Amino acid sequence: MFYLGVDVGSVSTDIVLIDENMNVIEKMYLKTKGKPIKVIQEGLKKLNEKYDKKQIKSSGVTGSGRHIAATIIGADVIKNEITAHAVAALNLDKEVKTIIEIGGQDSKIITLNNGVITDFAMNTVCAAGTGSFLDRQAERLDIPIEKFGEYALKANTSIRIAGRCAVFAESDMIHKQQLGYSEADIIRGLCEALVRNYLNNVAKGKEIKPKVFFQGGVAANIGMKDAFERELGFKIYVPEHYNMMGAIGVAILAKRAFEKTGESKFKGLSLAESTFISSSFDCYDCPNNCEIVKITEDNKEIGCFGDRCGKWSGRINEKVL
Amino acid sequence: MKVTFPHLGNVYIAAKALFQGLGIECVIPPLSNKAALEIGSLYSPEEICLPFKIQLGNYIQSIEQGADTVIITGSCGPCRFGEYGEMQMNILRKLGYDVKFIVADSPSDIGIRELFKRIGYMTAYSNKNKIQKIKSLFDAIKIIELMDSVEGEARYKSGFELRKGECKRLLNKCKSEAFNAESPGEMIEVIQHYNEKIKNVEFDAQKNPIKVAVIGEIYTIIEPFSNLYIEDRLMEMGVSTKRRLTPSWWVKNTALSPLGLNSMDIKKASKDYMALCIGGHARECIGEAVLAKEDGFDGAIQIFPLGCMPEIVSKAILPKISKDLGLPIMTLVVDEMTGEAGYLTRVEAFIDLLERRREDVLSRC
Repeated sequence: MFYLGVDVGSVSTDIVLIDENMNVIEKMYLKTKGKPIKVIQEGLKKLNEKYDKKQIKSSGVTGSGRHIAATIIGADVIKNEITAHAVAALNLDKEVKTIIEIGGQDSKIITLNNGVITDFAMNTVCAAGTGSFLDRQAERLDIPIEKFGEYALKANTSIRIAGRCAVFAESDMIHKQQLGYSEADIIRGLCEALVRNYLNNVAKGKEIKPKVFFQGGVAANIGMKDAFERELGFKIYVPEHYNMMGAIGVAILAKRAFEKTGESKFKGLSLAESTFISSSFDCYDCPNNCEIVKITEDNKEIGCFGDRCGKWSGRINEKVL
Repeated sequence: MKVTFPHLGNVYIAAKALFQGLGIECVIPPLSNKAALEIGSLYSPEEICLPFKIQLGNYIQSIEQGADTVIITGSCGPCRFGEYGEMQMNILRKLGYDVKFIVADSPSDIGIRELFKRIGYMTAYSNKNKIQKIKSLFDAIKIIELMDSVEGEARYKSGFELRKGECKRLLNKCKSEAFNAESPGEMIEVIQHYNEKIKNVEFDAQKNPIKVAVIGEIYTIIEPFSNLYIEDRLMEMGVSTKRRLTPSWWVKNTALSPLGLNSMDIKKASKDYMALCIGGHARECIGEAVLAKEDGFDGAIQIFPLGCMPEIVSKAILPKISKDLGLPIMTLVVDEMTGEAGYLTRVEAFIDLLERRREDVLSRC
C-alpha cells in the first residue's frame, strides 16, 4: 500500500510514493515551468503506468501550488511547506534541531526542540539568494546548474560579492569577472555571499544548533553546503532525498490522516486523461475586485480561488452539501 | 465643498455619519482595492511606504467622483507619516488636481487654535448650528467605538463560536447595514443591535482556540486590503484574534496624549524593552507583545509596510521578548504584492506551530 505526496513549488514539482514503512518507493522531480496543472498530470500519468489506483491509500499536497493541486488530485491533506519539511526531517532523525531549507523562491529556517517546531522564519519580500537566482547565474556563466557547486570547491580564494540584493550581486559578479577573477573564485564568493545573506536575514536572531539538516533544491549545491559549514563551524547534513522532503513530509501526513479516518478523497491516477482548464477573471460585484481563478475538469467546474467573500470558492462545497 | 478621506478600516462608516450630521457632501472612495494601489504606486515616490500609495489611490478615485477637499490626520512625529500630507498635496497639485487639504494634526504639535482654525475651514460649509455640529461629532465617535467593539468581539469570539462562520457573517452584515443606514441615529441603532447579537453568539464550551495578537504598524493592521485580509483569514482558520490598535483607540490616545495619560497599560508593559517613543507605534507594538503574553495569548503576528522605520526597530527587539516570555512572534512585511500564496503559507505555518507547541506543552504535563 502506498501514499502519495505532491509538492508543487515555484521551480519544481516533486511527486513521491512512500510505503507503509515510510520508505520512498518512487520519486519524480519535474520542472514546474509555470504550468502546475500540466506537470501534475504528467507525473501522475507516469505513475499510472506502474501502479493502480487501489494501491494508493491517500494523498497529500504542499508547496505554494498546494491549493490548486489539492483541487485537481483530491488531496486528503493540504499542508504548508514548513510543517511538511519538518515532518520529513524528523522521520529520518529525531535529533535534528535546525532545518535550513532553500528552494526556488523561498528560503526558510525551522528550529525544532524534542521533535516539535519551536520557531521558523522565511524570507520576506525578497527572493535574493534562493535557487532561482543561482539558476540564473549558472545560465549566465554557461555552467550546468548541477556542476555549479563543484566549481566553488575548486576555488583557491573567495572573492567578496555583495549578497544583499540579487540585482546588485549580479552586477558585482560581472564587474569582478571583467577584472579577470576566475570563475571558480567568483562562484565560491557568491556561495559565501548567499550564506551570509541567509544567516543575516532569514536566520537573524535564530539559534542554529546542531544537528542541522540542509534541504531543498539548493542543497544539491555542494558549494553552498561547504560555505555553510565554514560559516557555522560544524558539519551539516544533506538528507538523501533533500529535494523531495516537502513531498515526503506530506505523504507521511497523508498516511497518518488515512490511519485516523480510514478514507480518502484521492481521485485516482487516471487524471492525465482529463482536460483541466484554468481561467481567470476579475469579479466586479464589489469594490474588492478580486482576481478569481476558475478550474474546470472536462468542462465541469471543480474549484475557484482568489475571492474574499467565498461566493466563488464556496460554490463547490455548497453543491456537495 | 465635497470632502473625501483615505480609508482606514471601518472609519468610513463613522465618517459617513459625521458628514451627514454636519450636512457636508462627502465622497467615500471605493474600498481600497487593486486599482487604488495601482494608481497610488504610479504617482508615489517609489521608496515611500505602502499606506501612502493606497491613500493616494483613494484620493484620486474620490476626486474622479467629484471630491474637492481631502481630510486627513497628520503627525509631526518622527516617522514618514509626518510628510504624508505635504507630499500628497504636492503630488496631486502636480497632477493638475485642484484639491484642498485639511490636515488635522494633534493639538500638541500645532496648537489647539490652529486645529480649530483648520476644522473651521470645513465646518464653515455646514449650515447646522453649534449644538448640532457637536452632536454629530459625538455621534461619529460613538459609531466608531461601537464598530470597533463589534469587530473586536467578532474577531475574538470566532474561535469559540458553535456555528462556524456566524461571527464573520454578523460582522459583515453589521458593516453593510450600518453603512446603508439613513441617518446617524439609525446607524447607531443598527450597530448596537449587532453588538448585542455578537455578544450573544453561542459558545462551544469544548473549544479552546489558538489566540493570536495582531500587532505592528497601525495602518497596515487596521486597513484589511493592505494586510491581505489577515484577520479574515485567521477567522476562517478558527483562530481568535485581538488587535488593540483601532481607530477608537487612536482617538482616545490622541486626546489623552497632551496629558500623558494615554495608553498607560501599553506604556507600562513596554517599559523594560523600549521606554521611549521613537515614532510611529513602535512602543505600542512592544507593549502589546508583552501584554499578549500576560493576557494568555498563544502568539503574536507583527505586520508592517516595507521600510517602516519604527517597526524595524521593534522587529529587532521582538526576538528578545519572544525568548524572555516564551511567546512566538512572527513578522510579516507587506508591500505592493497581492499574490497570497507565500503569505498564507507563513500564516498557516505559524498557526500550526502554535497548535503543536500547545499539544507539546500539554503532553509534557
